Amino acid sequence: MTPVISATALGRRYRDQVALNDVSLAIQPGTVTGLLGRNGAGKTTLMRIVTGLEFPTSGAIRVFGEAPAENESVLRRMVFVREDQAYPDLRVTHVIRVASWFYPNWNGDLARQLLADFDLPLGRRIRKLSRGMRSAVGIVIGLAARAELTLFDEPYAGLDAVARQLFYDRLLADFAEHPRTVVLSTHLIDEVADLLEHVVMLDRGRVVLDAPADDVRGTAMTVSGPATAVEEFVAGRPVWRRQRLGARAAVTVAGPLDLTEQARARALHLRLEPLSLQQLLVHAAGSPADEKVSA
Amino acid sequence: MKTLVNVARYHLVDRLSYWALPWGILAFSFLINLAISGLLPSPQGDYTGGLFTIYAYLIVCGALSMTRSLPFGLMLGVSRRGYYLGTALLIMMLGVVWGLGLTVLQAAERATGGWGVGLHFFRVPWIMDGPWYVTWLTSFVLLVLFFWYGMWYGLVYRRWNVAGLIAFAAAQVLVVLAVVVAVSMTGNWPAVGHFFTTLTALALTGVLAAVAVALGLGGLTTIRRVTI
Repeated sequence: MTPVISATALGRRYRDQVALNDVSLAIQPGTVTGLLGRNGAGKTTLMRIVTGLEFPTSGAIRVFGEAPAENESVLRRMVFVREDQAYPDLRVTHVIRVASWFYPNWNGDLARQLLADFDLPLGRRIRKLSRGMRSAVGIVIGLAARAELTLFDEPYAGLDAVARQLFYDRLLADFAEHPRTVVLSTHLIDEVADLLEHVVMLDRGRVVLDAPADDVRGTAMTVSGPATAVEEFVAGRPVWRRQRLGARAAVTVAGPLDLTEQARARALHLRLEPLSLQQLLVHAAGSPADEKVSA
Repeated sequence: MKTLVNVARYHLVDRLSYWALPWGILAFSFLINLAISGLLPSPQGDYTGGLFTIYAYLIVCGALSMTRSLPFGLMLGVSRRGYYLGTALLIMMLGVVWGLGLTVLQAAERATGGWGVGLHFFRVPWIMDGPWYVTWLTSFVLLVLFFWYGMWYGLVYRRWNVAGLIAFAAAQVLVVLAVVVAVSMTGNWPAVGHFFTTLTALALTGVLAAVAVALGLGGLTTIRRVTI
């Protein structure tokens, strides 16, 4: 199958800074991909290049098999909802109406439903909206456009937990009925972990991880219990991180554990916990893993 | 073509910028001029140049169409070229309608002897004082020219910020200076004077149209590498 997005040795350099460095990846149709990474890792730059809003300095980008820049037959098949989207001085209802003219698969009923769900004041000017409400406008457009390729870049800045859950629910429900390719960049990794089928992680402009989410999950376990038993159990395994508190220890080891090993752990009265996607990615980013890193 | 029309419709949603403000500003300017002419009548009539306000506003409006309205426009699956051409098309359509409006107002001014107070607001000697169809055409060309000029300014700002604006303005000064120097050195001032004194309003409109096309092409070149 032709990938929806295919990047080959993509690079983007700004005067004194490398935003993307030798990025190669392929996003398959009908998948939900999480584009993860720290601030400044290059997520937004990558999405801007995919949507033709920015130009690469090296390498090639193909979307639906074609170069996206200035290519309306490609551009109109995607929607890009970004955190820093600037709107002209229009009312919410105007912005939605304008969007409905442009997206070929636009669904007005869905848009109305979402506007009501997010409690958006239709007559209010965009610049008078709160941060969260402005994010919600972007989400309404992103979902109602039903574009074949839907890109969300930190779409919920300022949105409360209830509204975020609403976004996940609506995304999942509409995705099930109208499959499309979704790329979602976010810092709230654990919140979206269940949505993701594929994970791409950028760090300082490079791809450091590109794998199915299920493969990523279970690649590490934290073993905790009496220190001596823990040390006995983890002997000979690659250790990612070691914590000790008095006579107790918690050690994170790489690799899945098979049934015999799990039985052995129970016999030693050890607790086994798989690392969450977020913890795994914190580790992959190479930052100090001792504290629990929040989004 | 559908995309271009949609881009034009996108701009027109902002009725304040595209209807209320240009005509509101012109009406304000007109009423002030009318009041002055009424209070201080002059026997040879008042020539004000107040008509320029609508053109000056169009520079601003054109610049905003390429700055404030651009990011959302490009979110909508439109190419830069499509966005630019759609916007350029919009002002051409508005120019036809607005130019007709200015022509009608000029006819009214002429019929009422300058609104009863000898005011020459919609009549500008030489350039806009001929038959109605020339006024309409010249108005159209000028409206488009100023808007496209503003569009180019807006795009220069988007790409190179304030430094770009300064360089852009400086470059225009240099172009004018180069022309002046070239004419002086070749001793062609009499020929230039002859050209302009014998130029008809219609021919001048042709020259302005050529300038407008040049400005439009300049903007089209500039938008090609704009990033959002």
